[in-house]
Amino acid sequence: MLIFITRRIGTMALTMLVVSLLLFLLLELNPGSVATKVLGPYSTEEQRRIWLEAHGYFDPLYERYFRWLTDFIRGDFGESTRFKVPVGDILWPRLGNTAILGLAVMAVVVPLSLTLGVLAGMKEGSSLDRGISISSIFFTSIPEFASAVFLASIFVFWLGWLPGTSGMSDGFDLRQLVLPVMVLVIYAFGYTVRMTRASMAEVMMTNYIRTAVLKGLPWRTVITKHALRNALIAPFTVLMLQINWLLSGVIVVEFFFAYKGFGALLLEASLNQDIFLIEACAMVAVFVAVGTQFVADVGYTYLNPRIRFS
Amino acid sequence: MAEQTASVPKAPPLPVRIFRGFGLLRESVVAMVGLGLIAFWVVLAIFADVIAPYPPNANFAPMQVPWATDAQGNFYLLGTDHLGRDIFSRIVYGSRRVLLLAPLATLCAYLVGVPMGLAAGYLRGRWDDVLSFVANVILSFPVLVLYVLIIATVGASALNILIAIIFASGPGIMRIVRGLALELRNREYIAAAQTRGESALYIMFVEMLPNARGPIIVDACLRVGYVTITIGVLGFLGLGLPPPDPDWGGMINETRQLAMMFPHMAVFPCIAISSLVLGFNLLADGFREISLRD
Amino acid sequence: MNKRLENILKKPNGFHHHSYVPEVANKFVKGEVDRREFLRTATLLGVSLPAAYSFIGHVTGKSAFPKARAAGKRGGTFRMAMEVQEIGDPATYDWTQKSNVARWMVEYLTRTGSDNVTVPYLARGWEASDDLKTWTLHLQEGVKWSNGDDFNADDVVHNFTRWLDPAVGSSNLSLFSAMTDEVEVTRNGEKRMETRMREGAVEKIDDHTVRLHMKSAQLAVPENLYNYPAAIVHRRFDEEGGNLANNPVGTGPYSLERFSVGGDAMLRRREGYWGEEPLLDAIHYIDTGSDRSAMMAAIASSQVDAIYEVDVTQVDTLESIPGVVLHSGLTAQTAVCRMQVDKAPFDDVRVREAITASIDNQQILDLGYRGLGTAAENHHVGPMHPEYAELPRLKQDHDKAKRLLAEAGYPDGLTISIDVGQTQGPWELATVQAMREQLAPSGITLDINTMPAAQYWDIWTTTPFGLTAWTHRPLGVMVLNLAYRKGQSWNESNYDNPEFEKALDEANGLLDADERRKKMESVQTILQDDHVMVQSFWRDNFVATRDYVKDYSVHPTQYHQFEKVWLDK
Repeated sequence: MLIFITRRIGTMALTMLVVSLLLFLLLELNPGSVATKVLGPYSTEEQRRIWLEAHGYFDPLYERYFRWLTDFIRGDFGESTRFKVPVGDILWPRLGNTAILGLAVMAVVVPLSLTLGVLAGMKEGSSLDRGISISSIFFTSIPEFASAVFLASIFVFWLGWLPGTSGMSDGFDLRQLVLPVMVLVIYAFGYTVRMTRASMAEVMMTNYIRTAVLKGLPWRTVITKHALRNALIAPFTVLMLQINWLLSGVIVVEFFFAYKGFGALLLEASLNQDIFLIEACAMVAVFVAVGTQFVADVGYTYLNPRIRFS
Repeated sequence: MAEQTASVPKAPPLPVRIFRGFGLLRESVVAMVGLGLIAFWVVLAIFADVIAPYPPNANFAPMQVPWATDAQGNFYLLGTDHLGRDIFSRIVYGSRRVLLLAPLATLCAYLVGVPMGLAAGYLRGRWDDVLSFVANVILSFPVLVLYVLIIATVGASALNILIAIIFASGPGIMRIVRGLALELRNREYIAAAQTRGESALYIMFVEMLPNARGPIIVDACLRVGYVTITIGVLGFLGLGLPPPDPDWGGMINETRQLAMMFPHMAVFPCIAISSLVLGFNLLADGFREISLRD
Repeated sequence: MNKRLENILKKPNGFHHHSYVPEVANKFVKGEVDRREFLRTATLLGVSLPAAYSFIGHVTGKSAFPKARAAGKRGGTFRMAMEVQEIGDPATYDWTQKSNVARWMVEYLTRTGSDNVTVPYLARGWEASDDLKTWTLHLQEGVKWSNGDDFNADDVVHNFTRWLDPAVGSSNLSLFSAMTDEVEVTRNGEKRMETRMREGAVEKIDDHTVRLHMKSAQLAVPENLYNYPAAIVHRRFDEEGGNLANNPVGTGPYSLERFSVGGDAMLRRREGYWGEEPLLDAIHYIDTGSDRSAMMAAIASSQVDAIYEVDVTQVDTLESIPGVVLHSGLTAQTAVCRMQVDKAPFDDVRVREAITASIDNQQILDLGYRGLGTAAENHHVGPMHPEYAELPRLKQDHDKAKRLLAEAGYPDGLTISIDVGQTQGPWELATVQAMREQLAPSGITLDINTMPAAQYWDIWTTTPFGLTAWTHRPLGVMVLNLAYRKGQSWNESNYDNPEFEKALDEANGLLDADERRKKMESVQTILQDDHVMVQSFWRDNFVATRDYVKDYSVHPTQYHQFEKVWLDK
């Protein structure tokens, strides 16, 4: 177990290193533009050059990279060229907001998709199963921006029930969370439903469930006592991976509803080529991706008796 | 017919196999609906010149609602946008771009991902370590951000979008194929081929690949749908195919400001993109059903 | 003209602010210039606004003072959706939004109102020498900084010094280029030429008088002093960290209570402001991201009282929302599709003419901006400018365009590509799409290359063909001086025509608007005939507020002036 964890952490560190280097190289395609970002489009060539010199941009790439890397390890993520404040000052609050959004989405998706998935998988091929399966495919097929357009037109403009933006400038407001969560749920729940359904259907085919049914145990007992525990292993893994997926999914939603989260920050940083901010965001994203994968693997081992025994 | 050919033990020639596959597909209502949706858009795309009543970029009376006729007697089935362009014609022409780019990009991604996956899964060892690491690095990054970063840096063009899609989805394909190859490499016929002294290339592409086709086809259908969404999202974020030629995501981006007064401008392209993706997803589901039955 | 009347316009010492003042006054009496023109010229030359109004009143026999409004209700917090960007150093601001947060704390020497007239602010008056090369600024006395210090000439000298230091990176360096010289300096052990402040360009006369020395005649100094990066910071700004957000010391009526980049900025009224107190207790700027529809959604659901900017595509929607009022204003904001005259194929004037001849500007306005503006004439001076000269109407002529293309060596048509960053909104894309359709009949294929705004600003001075949005400037010559002179850093078209510059120099030195207009006729004609740009329209500006927001007026440069704004809730 210890070796397993050490290896995982080693891989994570290496992945982060490679990603950060790749980003450095990618943004190097457009050298000098950083001064335009800082001083604005109306600065002169000369002013930009002086700024670049003063901030060490004419040093060789490797020197700048290692400077950034040592600072990063020490916890100094550099300064954002767009916000002109240390990256950490903007990154952490935004990440917290996205965590709130993610938790809210999970709080809806997990019970909803597990219930629907189990209901569908209980009797494979029944009309309930067909209905749930087809509608989950249907909802998965609507891109986020499309459902955002639909929902905003209906609830903000037409009915006027919900606020149109979710900036939360006057403190936390649950109503502002409704639309972003709805959009993300629509896009996310289909996949989990289908996974749960497949897993449940598989369990229902196993011999011990068939035996239990043949023995005449009540249907309810068969499902809750025997089938569920085994059927929920796969969805657990899927849900963990959904967290990683959400990091990507929040971008469109946060952009659309002006939610002050990590996704919108990352999008804006990319569009403005705000290098240190992108680097820090990328490190967070990689950390989450590798971290959730790790938890999923450990959890799977723990939940699945077959693996534990071997 | 399908049953008869199925009883022949030797592998039938390719056309028969395709026909047989189609015969199986016909049993799945879901797959047929999906195929129907895709076929609908393919027909529109092929015959766009005949079907679309107007050129996609011509300016007529702006802000016409659906089913409207303007002062010149021009009829607009789905209305016009803020520049007076016929939305129906734009959606029809727009299907060309997406139906060309999405499958092409997916195909290219497979051309990159499949050999990588086979190599990693069959050869194992250092090949596997290196390729898996590369794939993990790319996959650990939120995929949409990857697109945005690449496109924002190199600029939006069909070619750049294609490259970005290959770059971002190649590793995912590699991972799936690798898993399949790992499963298949212990089969008897692989061992037999190895004993015959077949080259690694022959084993990977002639022995393994055809046997892995089921999950690959399912994944490909899902992936074309996902790539369609991606192209839409890029258009929506203003990083899509260069205007003015119609691009569904771009159409939504350009007109959603008017969504309250003129919902049709954004809603119809939304429906178009959703229905095409639905088609691919339903088809994938049908394939999955069939492959489970085998 | 009656002596008593003339005295109204004089300085207390009995002299005129400028020798042209009595002349323009005379013209006003004779009816040769209108009220607005007189007001503009007199105040430009340093006559105080009350004096100018009083003069008009005496001449016309009616009180010319703007009607005192029924004083609004005091109090309340005004919430406006606007991007809240970093506000560290006012001198390096490149977005109006940044200055709008800061302008409640730090103030300017002059101030241009929504009516385009520039009036005293931190400078209580000014006068120009007859050759318009020396400008003397008289500063307000009794102004206190929020840290208790007195505002004085040292502050002003310090600001000019830092604006004109290339290491600071302020765009004021280009704006006040008449105060700079190119000198040889040693930087990082390397000898090179750098543009920096001329020796003695700013002179402190006494504690409340500063004199500026220009190397050429400058007409628009008061206007330039209200350009958004020209806010006056404290003389110890740099010593105290050089960051307004961390150390918000200013002379303005509000103080910064809360500030987070990309989040919000809360400004609260402070005690002891030197000027007239504004009505609002607090101003709250709320960032709704870079997506414009989010702003619209915010006002539709009453999350804000006003939104900074309404894109033209949103006008219909906003008009239909109950409780939302749309304000619009005529401006000299425009989009210039400029061609670099030294890059192929645009180095051939016939190609450029083929392009401009293919285009009907009115139709582009109708399609690209919904007709909500004024058609322009490809020379970047418009009817809102006092010196604008009316030229013969341009005609769309596809046959002529084809002929010109053939002469230029493109008998089978030409494919060109335009870069569009949509820096001011989606209408930019609509505009070039409309252009594309009009160029097609001449055999010109226009490829559209869209990119994120930030990326466009990287290439705006280097792309051969691009759409650049230019902001409003009160005088026509201001933009021409900045953008169409050889060697100017904002000369994005690389335009270089000595004949044009000579004519422009002459126009710059003329105070008489009629004389200037005659000269402008040739300036505009030269620029138009060189076909440097397709400039199709001047766009109106829109702001939306909730209906309880009273006495809001749209400023042509979107500078926020809410002193009279009040909330009727």
